[in-house]
Amino acid sequence: MAEHHPFDPRSPGHGYEAAATDQEHGHAGVGKYVAVFIALCVLTAISFAVGNSATLRHNSPGTMWAAMMAVSCAKAMLVILFFMHLLWEANWKYVLTIPSAMMSIFLLLMLIPDIGRRTDRYAEERWLYAAEPKKEDKSSPGHDQKSAHDHDHADQNAGKAKH
Amino acid sequence: MTHGHHAAVTLHYQPALPIGRGKLCLWLFLSTEIMFFAGLIATYIVLRFGVPAGTWPVPHDVHLQEWIGATNTFVLICSSVTIVLALEASKQNRAGLAKFWMLLTFVLGSVFLGIKAYEYKEKFVHGIYPAKPHSRIYEKPDLYYVQGVKLTLAAQRDRLTAKQGELQQAGKSLSESEAKDLATLNNLLTNLVQWTELKAVREKDAIASRLAIDKMAKAIYPHWHIGPDGDQTRKLYVNSLEREREDIHGDLQSVAKDLQQAQEQKANLEKQTAPPQKAAELSPVPAATFVVLQNQPGASPATEAEQRSKALGELGRVQERIDMLTLEQNRMNGRLEMIKQLEEEHVVKEGLVHEYARFRLPMVIPSGNMWASTYFLLTGFHALHVLVGLIAFVLVLLYTLDHTKSHILENTGLYWHFVDLVWIFLFPLLYLF
Repeated sequence: MAEHHPFDPRSPGHGYEAAATDQEHGHAGVGKYVAVFIALCVLTAISFAVGNSATLRHNSPGTMWAAMMAVSCAKAMLVILFFMHLLWEANWKYVLTIPSAMMSIFLLLMLIPDIGRRTDRYAEERWLYAAEPKKEDKSSPGHDQKSAHDHDHADQNAGKAKH
Repeated sequence: MTHGHHAAVTLHYQPALPIGRGKLCLWLFLSTEIMFFAGLIATYIVLRFGVPAGTWPVPHDVHLQEWIGATNTFVLICSSVTIVLALEASKQNRAGLAKFWMLLTFVLGSVFLGIKAYEYKEKFVHGIYPAKPHSRIYEKPDLYYVQGVKLTLAAQRDRLTAKQGELQQAGKSLSESEAKDLATLNNLLTNLVQWTELKAVREKDAIASRLAIDKMAKAIYPHWHIGPDGDQTRKLYVNSLEREREDIHGDLQSVAKDLQQAQEQKANLEKQTAPPQKAAELSPVPAATFVVLQNQPGASPATEAEQRSKALGELGRVQERIDMLTLEQNRMNGRLEMIKQLEEEHVVKEGLVHEYARFRLPMVIPSGNMWASTYFLLTGFHALHVLVGLIAFVLVLLYTLDHTKSHILENTGLYWHFVDLVWIFLFPLLYLF
């Protein structure tokens, strides 16, 4: 019958929701939501503790940032999968979420190295006007050794060219 | 029957995706929102990590409290749960329960916005604004900063002085607190700003002159970053105050010596320039000279007048020198008083900006303007989304939320969860990074 189209949201009895809840292995449990809620609270507490750890901030801020972002991603996945019901949706979910997620992640991945590694190829003169102190290479204490390393590198390149 | 056959080919609407149109539109919208916020967050990361190393303000520097942000995170998580429960209730056709959960969600969303408003107010009270006319943030301690402090204080002093003049004409005087403010403003202008200014200008060593301004910036708004470095810079600052006091004590001694010398000189010259008769009465030696000069024919009166005028000129110069030295002495004593105040425990800790909050002193927060711009941009856009969500809640609450309306609730919920999702990333990025 036309008036009970399976995809019409205004025909609840035979609509997609009822059909979905039948197939969804009874996902609509309040217990599951409470579990997700507790997990979110615990994860927030973890990122709060990590962010407030002075020793971690002092010793390796990179680890701290990565840990907090990982926790945030975990929280985001919990919200998306359970609260936004994406776990139980049909395959259309990939069409709408993956392209935009890819573009977002691509944007971030393009920009972070742009900033994080911008000093990697600074010339000596550029360092004089740099906004941050020069990073000394801990493995090679002196300037001479660095240029020696560069020399090795050039040799390697030359070797490659021969091959 | 032919008619029946025709009826069998009635066209059906075949949606491309097995979901309602509203939900499809909302998901399309959300997928653009993902990119929108990704762009904002990427901007933040570029600006955050692009500033000079180690200058990004820590939360305490900019009156940001992590626990308030954490509370707001908790509030949003709770609201996400309540809206999901509203949807469940509506699916089970329990309209009353659904409405209750929706109302609770609305209240939680309002609480979030309320806390946000409080946080914004905290920033505004402390002069942290995203843009210049209101913002009191200077990026670095330089002469522009000194100028900024001077203008701020001078404007208030001038206002009070003008008021004092008006009141005096009417036979009244400033109220006690106003008079005290005026004295404080003058004190700050002389012993903090002017002292620093002169020091920075007179100092031949460029680094030393920069350090003088830096000391003033630290006195006004200290930011002792957390961790071992903070304690060290703080100790260095307190030591520099100590050293300055010792230097001033040394200078004061030499000034006192000079002053004594000048005063002796002055006394001598005064004797020389004293009127002749009096001089004769005072001591026999000048009288004898006078007699000798009198007895020399011709030139004597002119030479005497010449000598006297010369001595008078000398006296004027000595007097000038005495005035200058006294002024210097007063300046140094005033500065010593100022140092005593700056060394007080709570002033070292909170700074003059806290001590004299009413004067709205400009402050140096390295990269502070960039911080304010990104903070207000990101949280502002998020708060705008929260506001839109609250409006949607009000509209949803107008319905009876039985199972026929559960798709509306579902779409509202999806939007709200997304708002929560954005905050999940903003909280660590803005409060904990």
